[in-house]
Amino acid sequence: MQYLLQLLISGLAIGAIYGLIAMGFAVIYKSTGLVNFAQGEMTMITAYIAWTISTTVSGNVVVVSLGAILGAILLGLVIERVVMRPMLGEPVFATVMVTIGLAVILRSAINFIWDAYPHSLDVGMGREIVRVGNIGVRTGQIAVIVTLLALLAAIWAFFRYSKIGVAMRAVAADDRTALLMGISATRVHALAWAASSVIAGIGGVFFALSYDLSPAMFQLGLKAFPATILGGLDAVLGSGLGGLLIGITENLAGGYIGSGMKEVAGFAMIIVVLMIRPFGIFGQRDIERV
Amino acid sequence: MRTGDYKQTYGELVALIDSPPVWLWSAVLLLALIVAPYALNAYALSFLTIILITVTGALGLNILTGYTGLISLGHVGFLVTGAYAYAVLVSKYHMHPLVGFLGAGVVPAFASLIVGAPSLRLKGLYLAITTLAFSFIINTVILEARWLTNGARGISVQRPEILGISFDGDAAFTHLCLGIAILTLFATLNIRRSRVGRAFVAIRDNDTAARVMGINLHAYKLFAFVTSAFITGISGALYGIYLSFVSVEGFPFLLSIEALAILIVGGLGSALGAVLGAILIVLLPEATRLVFSLFSGQLDATFTTGAQELKSMLYGLVIILFLRFQPRGLVGAWHDVRRTWVHWPLRY
Repeated sequence: MQYLLQLLISGLAIGAIYGLIAMGFAVIYKSTGLVNFAQGEMTMITAYIAWTISTTVSGNVVVVSLGAILGAILLGLVIERVVMRPMLGEPVFATVMVTIGLAVILRSAINFIWDAYPHSLDVGMGREIVRVGNIGVRTGQIAVIVTLLALLAAIWAFFRYSKIGVAMRAVAADDRTALLMGISATRVHALAWAASSVIAGIGGVFFALSYDLSPAMFQLGLKAFPATILGGLDAVLGSGLGGLLIGITENLAGGYIGSGMKEVAGFAMIIVVLMIRPFGIFGQRDIERV
Repeated sequence: MRTGDYKQTYGELVALIDSPPVWLWSAVLLLALIVAPYALNAYALSFLTIILITVTGALGLNILTGYTGLISLGHVGFLVTGAYAYAVLVSKYHMHPLVGFLGAGVVPAFASLIVGAPSLRLKGLYLAITTLAFSFIINTVILEARWLTNGARGISVQRPEILGISFDGDAAFTHLCLGIAILTLFATLNIRRSRVGRAFVAIRDNDTAARVMGINLHAYKLFAFVTSAFITGISGALYGIYLSFVSVEGFPFLLSIEALAILIVGGLGSALGAVLGAILIVLLPEATRLVFSLFSGQLDATFTTGAQELKSMLYGLVIILFLRFQPRGLVGAWHDVRRTWVHWPLRY
């Protein structure tokens, strides 16, 4: 029983990180219709920015998190402006391939800008172990779950009530009509890239906080894929919850079946989900008219 | 003066080679390729071998992604299954190399039926993600099935001896790769100009319309998967023999992206494009190294320390630049040049 609870808790914690990155996927998919294959790499770069700030400027939590958020916004905006905007209006295949190219470039850039060794991000908190009953939980793990839930609520409110959120939904639903209503599609795209970079970046920083920072971190992006497929590519909230489910599944599979299963549980889940309900649990079914 | 194409029968239109000069030049090229292994030094020969293996693999992916329009991000999965099928059959069970090559084609073809089945329901991005998931699952399966594959330790592979001919030497092995690459080229060209190939292209251009015209989408999509996986598997076996050691690390995920990069750079949906793209992508790191060595000293040092990173960075950059500025790839550029040459000084 205790083993099970321990697996569930750590599954929830890693699942919350997947969920954050999956929300990053979904925000971009929802407003631009693209799957951003460079999401994991962007997450990793944000985490590295946070690490650089913590080692060079100050290890204070507030400074590091503000710096990382600013860095993530800048990263998202620059990528959108330099790489993605020239591809506006091109076929989806071409644009998605551009994000794959971008992923490869960013992944190698890490080794040039920083180095290939693992580092630990130290902001003076997050590694203490709190005991709940007889289960040990790190404060960082609790923090990431709370952050995910808070962000889910905030994003729900943002899309529901704010003017920009409604504009983003309008562009997602029908970009041509949105243009006619006076909504700037490019501005919405820029906002989506920045927001996605920040949301996923938060996940990356939390990952670096609980585990370690290394150039292999881009695999988080691949691990978050099942989450966003499960929740629905166009469902931001669904993707967040999908992350929690995938995290738990992965940990249970790893704990009860074998460590090899842990690596592929998510991918096996993708195939099952795609066979049964390709648009995800919370996604909208695509109806194609001829 | 050449003023146009006078083709009066359907047979003339689909002919592989339509004029005597093309015959002549193809023969000259073939001869040059046959003689080349004896004339080149070991370093240049290794590039030729790699190009030939890559051409085979790229032609395999071209059937799926180029002709049928089904994007695969997991082709390295077929590559690695092919390599392992050959290694297990020949090195572990001491079967005849020809049986090994057959297995290297058939095993990935069966695996492709498993991946192909979801593709009957999925399109575009979703399919790409499924194939991506497949390639990771394959890796884990290989690592876990230790009784068959030695797990992470890998299997070492000898150069084969087929029908009394030993392919042990570098030149002989290059000839083997050349033979297989040419066979594959003819096979894909013939698929393209047959009924099956036209069905593939119809599915790529508009699957609903293709279905209305009586094309069995399920059968043809699966057929595209099987053919593509068969060819890719053989290319994987050749690569395994070339490396003389088959392990999961020898086939990184980057190879899937490299294969797509080859198709994009060469021009999607064209066999010539796959060949040109393979040549460019294989030689790209070497060409860059030469350029870097012109600026002596520090840049060169950066290259040697970060060679692998720079190489993958170049793939990324080349993919993005081609998609942005020459979406039709090298074949498109070649067509433009040829048209300008024929019609000059008129524009068209």
